[in-house]
Order: sequence, then C-alpha cells, then structure tokens
Amino acid sequence: MNTRQNQFQRYSGWIFVLPFLILFAAFLLTPLLYGLALSFFNWEMLSPAPTQFIGWGNFHEALHSDRFWTSTLATARFVLMATPATVGIALALALGINTIQGRRQAFYRASYFLPGLLSISVAGLLWTWFYNGEFGLFNAYLEKVGIKIPWLTSTSWAMKSIVIMSLWWCLGGATIILLAGRQQISQSLYEAASMDGAGALRSLWHITIPQMRPVLLFVTVTNIIGSFQVFGQTYIITRGGPEDSTRVLVQYIYETAFLHYRMGYGSAMCWLLFAFIAFFSVIQFMAMKERR
Amino acid sequence: MTGSSKFLMGRVRGAVVVAALCMGLLGAACSRQDRPEVTLRFWNGFTGPDGRPMQQLVKEFNRENPDIRIIMQRMDWYTYYNKLFVAGIGGRAPEVFIIHASNIPRFIHADFLRPMDDLLEKEMGLDPKDFFPQAWNAAGDGGKQYGIPLDISIHGMYYNKSLFRAAGIVDATGEPRPPRNQKEFMEALRKLTLDRDGDGDMDQWGFVFTNTRNNLLVLMVQFGGMFFDRDNRQCLLNSEGNVRALTWCRDLIHREKLVPSPENFIAWLGFRQGNVAMAFEGIYMLADLQKQTDLDFGVAPIPTIGEQPATLASSHIVCLRRDLKNPELQAASRFARFLTDRSLDWAAAGQVPARLSLLQSDRFRSMEAQATFAQQLDHVFYEPNQPFNNQFDTEFNEAVEKALRNSETPQAALDRAVANTQRAVRRHYDLWDQAKNASSEKSSGL
Repeated sequence: MNTRQNQFQRYSGWIFVLPFLILFAAFLLTPLLYGLALSFFNWEMLSPAPTQFIGWGNFHEALHSDRFWTSTLATARFVLMATPATVGIALALALGINTIQGRRQAFYRASYFLPGLLSISVAGLLWTWFYNGEFGLFNAYLEKVGIKIPWLTSTSWAMKSIVIMSLWWCLGGATIILLAGRQQISQSLYEAASMDGAGALRSLWHITIPQMRPVLLFVTVTNIIGSFQVFGQTYIITRGGPEDSTRVLVQYIYETAFLHYRMGYGSAMCWLLFAFIAFFSVIQFMAMKERR
Repeated sequence: MTGSSKFLMGRVRGAVVVAALCMGLLGAACSRQDRPEVTLRFWNGFTGPDGRPMQQLVKEFNRENPDIRIIMQRMDWYTYYNKLFVAGIGGRAPEVFIIHASNIPRFIHADFLRPMDDLLEKEMGLDPKDFFPQAWNAAGDGGKQYGIPLDISIHGMYYNKSLFRAAGIVDATGEPRPPRNQKEFMEALRKLTLDRDGDGDMDQWGFVFTNTRNNLLVLMVQFGGMFFDRDNRQCLLNSEGNVRALTWCRDLIHREKLVPSPENFIAWLGFRQGNVAMAFEGIYMLADLQKQTDLDFGVAPIPTIGEQPATLASSHIVCLRRDLKNPELQAASRFARFLTDRSLDWAAAGQVPARLSLLQSDRFRSMEAQATFAQQLDHVFYEPNQPFNNQFDTEFNEAVEKALRNSETPQAALDRAVANTQRAVRRHYDLWDQAKNASSEKSSGL
C-alpha cells in the first residue's frame, strides 16, 4: 500500500502538468521544431517545385543579405532606445506612484495601464494620424509655436517616433510590475536608513535598487525580448520606411514568409532572431548574477 | 387534493412543459437542419464601406435560395491572403472566395482555383462577351477561365470643388473645371498650393500622393513606361518612360516644391479635411466620401500628364475552390451568377460593374460619379500580375520612395529595383523548371 502510495505521489505531478504539456507540445514545441527543420529546406509556398533540402543555404543567404543586416540594425536601434527608456521611465513612474496613497494610486495605475489594452492596429492607426507631417495632430499644435517635426519622414526621426509611441503603449505593464516590486520592500529598511541619516537618493541607490534587482532583471529581460520582436508598430505606422530605417527584423521575416512565400528562408531568419535574443538574455542574466 | 398529490400534479405538469419545450426545440433544430441542402463558405476582404452592400447581397441570396446557405467571412486584405493560402494548403479553403485580378496568376500556380469553362454556359448561363474584356482576361490564363470579374476598380481624380472655385478655376458657367492635361494640371497646382500666412509652410496643397505605388503606376504608363516584357522574364521597370515619370514626380516635390514629400495614406485625410485640392485615388474611396456632408467634391478622369491617357484598374474576381464537387459546385455556380447579375447593386456602393450590358443600363448612367470613372475604360491598364508580383512591389516601392525623397536618382533607384526583381524572377522560373522536370520524370517512370 505504501509503495503504491509512494508511486502515486511520485507521478501525480506529471498528471497535473500533463494537460499543459500536451498543449505545449502540440502548439509550441512541434511548430518550433517544424520551423527548425523547415529552415534547412527551400520551400516556396506557391511553387509547385518539390521541397528541397539545402543544408545551411538559407542561413548563408540571410547572413550575406544586405536587407537582413539593415533590418537587424533597425531592430538593434529600437532595442537600444526602447529598453532603457521603458525600464527607466517605468521605474520612475513606479516610485512616483508608490508615494501616492489610496484611490488616487489606483487611478494613476489604471491610467498608465490603459493604453496597453488597445490593440496595436487601433493604437498604430491613431498614431499614424498624430504623426503625419502635414495633416497630423502633433504638428498642427507644434506649428502654432513655430515648430514642425518630421516625425515619420526623416530617417533620423522615424525610429524615435516609433519608440515614443511604443513607450506610450507598453509602459503601463512594466510600471505595474515594478510598483509591485517596490511595495514588497520592507518599510523598516527605510526607517533604519533614515535613522542613520540617509537621504532619499542614498535610500534609492542602496535600498530600493538592490532590493528590486530581481524585478528589474525580469522587466529588462522581458523588455529586451519584446523589443527584439517589435513588429506591429513599425508595420502599421511606417511600413518599414522611410528608406528602410524602421524595417525591423520581424517585419522582414513576415514579408519573406507571408508576402514572398519563402517559408524556409523565413524560418531560418526566425532562428537567427532566436539566437540573438538568447545571446542577449544570457548576457543580461550573467551580468546581474555577477553583480549579486 | 392533498398536499402530496398537488406536488405530484405540479411535477407532472412541469415534466409535460419541459417535454413540449424539448420537442419544440428538436423540431426547430430538425427543420433548420432540413432547410439548406448546401452550406458554402464565402470569404472576402470587404471590410471597408464595401462590406455592407456585399453582406446585403448575401442576405438576399440566402432568402431567395432556401436550399443554399452562404456564410460570409470578411477580414482585411493583408490578413485575408495569408489565411486563404494557409487554408488552401491545409485543404480547408472556402468554397467561394474573392481575389484581386493581380493575384490570379499566383493562385493558379499554387493550383488553388477551379477552371470555370465547363460551368460558364451550362451552370451559370454567362456569355464571356458580356464582360469588359480586360477584366475577363485578367481572370484567365492559358486559355482557361479561373473566375468571374465582379467589377472594375478604376482610379480617377477626386477634386475639392470649393477650393477650385476659390482659386477661380471654373468654366464659363462658374462650375469648377478639373484639369485634363499636364499644362492645366500645373496651372491648377500653382493656384491651389497656398502659403496663406507666409511662414514658408504650405497651408493648402494642390495635390498629394496618397498612394505612391498606384499613383506612380498610372503616371509611368502615361509616360510610356512598361513593367515586364511579353514573356514575363525580364523586368523593364528602368525603361525610359518610367524614369521620366519618376523624375517628373521628384521635380514636383523638390524643384517646384508644389507637392509634399509622400508620407503615408494619411495624405488622403488631408483631402477629406479640405486641405488638399486634388488626389488620384481608386473608386473604392467614393462610398466614404459620399457620406461626408461637409466636403464639396467632384470626380474626373485622371489628367493626361504624360504622352498618353492611362489609368490603373483592377477587378474583384469570384473564384471557386479547386476540388469543388456537386452539389457544392452547382450551389457555388448559382451564387457566382447571382453576384454578377446583381453587380449594379454592388456598383451603387462605389464600383463599376464588369458586365457590359449593365454598364450600358440607365441605372448605371444615373450613378454620376461611377459613370465619370467609367469614362476612362478605353485606356485602363490592369496592374502587373506576375506570380512574383509581391517581390516586384517590394522593389518598386523602395525605388519610388528613394527617388521621391531625392536620396537616389530615379535611374539608379529603378536600376537597382530591376536587378533585385530579376533575382526573384530567376528563382521563380528555376523552381518552375524543377517542378516540370520532376513531373516529367514521374510520368516517364510510370
């Protein structure tokens, strides 16, 4: 009896996770592995030609393609601008909101979170109009004070405009997580620091940031991953323009796979993107671990 | 009656009511199940103002044909084509669907479409001669007909009547006079592009590029340009006419400073706001504009800017799934016939019907704006429709953007686009040859 009970206890965990594992295998693992296999084949969805094994051919083509590197560079620019800005501003907002108490805090939390509830199509179309140089909302007001910004028409402005829009759209989620992290810190630490004569800045540097490090790591890593996968904003607002300055890697993959129907080549680029994300995530984890 | 018998009677009455309800529901379900013999899925991308009239047509068909049930599904065109392809590959494509004429060759190559030649006369009772020839031909390939054109989506010129009157561009009767050629267009442009407050920024534009791809296709053909050779083996985008058209557009922006640098489709919003006097756009914009009561607009043929009149057109083509069998096939044929018969109702929402007999009807002539667009039928051209059209579009858009932004000369931009397109063309034909060899090896092995 005891042995049977032990055996049941040993395997009961599997029974609980089995439904998830089945779904995970069917809808994530299988397509992932299928995509990996596909990346070694030349398969053009519309071509009647038989699928052909070409080894590393698709990877070779991607690594020698100007468009691949242009779009990788555009993605890197987005990641470098969006991630520090999101984490920094979200941290500032979280700390600010934390000082507000009661219902007003709930109001601010909801206000920053609300834009993220809009679908990217709605948010993207709205901002396309806001940003239009001649007939848009922002320049209509700015022109009254003699300023006209080429939001989407200048290659140096376009990616910044996408980042600003993304901040408006995504900041809420990061703010809420960081706020929760800040609220986990025991008040006694601040009281002790205050008794030792520490000011607000020292408390921030020596208590808040170190205590929030795991949450900050989580927000930074998820943000880097999300930023590498940016697509909706650029596809709707700029379609990759002007002059490819906002054509990010996911858009190039989408166009290759679903407009040009080159599924093998598209899959190979997906795996290269996965490699980039994995590389930066591991570096991030290692850097945070060392500091700890 | 004792308490327990009352309770019993109550239970019996309750059971009878429940049983009756169940029978009723069962009966209703059975009769609903009995009614339509065939259910067809009908997919399209009419998510704009054109969605409502199509929905209405489907409703009417379902009412008039109780043995057939059409279930319409709409999604935006970008998502639509992806879903349609994936569904087709998975063998779950809808029985009836709409595709643009430019997509016909790609769908034929993917073997998704059922040729309709055997259905045209027998099942549908349609005469090919009753269709606008270019629309009809756009749905055919290699002597086979793969679809029925529903309409002709022509591009024309929209102009703001109030701005024309204010600029004094009127005829003898005081009515606004839209330009007909390059000279009149330039004169109008100079009068209609205004910097009212003198701050160096234009407050009103005479013309804007609302869709650079479509606008440039029109102008390139007007300047005598071509896109591919007869065999579709060589891209001719850098031909002399195309270079001249692109140069003319670039000069309009950077030398004359009469047109803003193209940005995105929001430029069309400028026309709707009343800040733009002229725009070249498709007839599909008509339905929305007609609802806007504070805009006094007119439509006219696109002026002849180049050496020859030309405007862009496309058609929505009704297609059937490749493996369709009876009774679905018969039902789908009836539905396709119904749609083309009722294409005047469809035209009322902002289209030109593809049936010549309907084009000549009094009802169509009374549709003033649509009839004006139809005046250009003599010189319409259908957009390039090669199987590698999407790759061509990518290169075309990039070249046009670079030239119009003046970061590359039109000649250099178009040369690069041709080189890149040729790579896609070569890949396409290489694969095509491979497929042919594979099938001939297979048949010789048999």
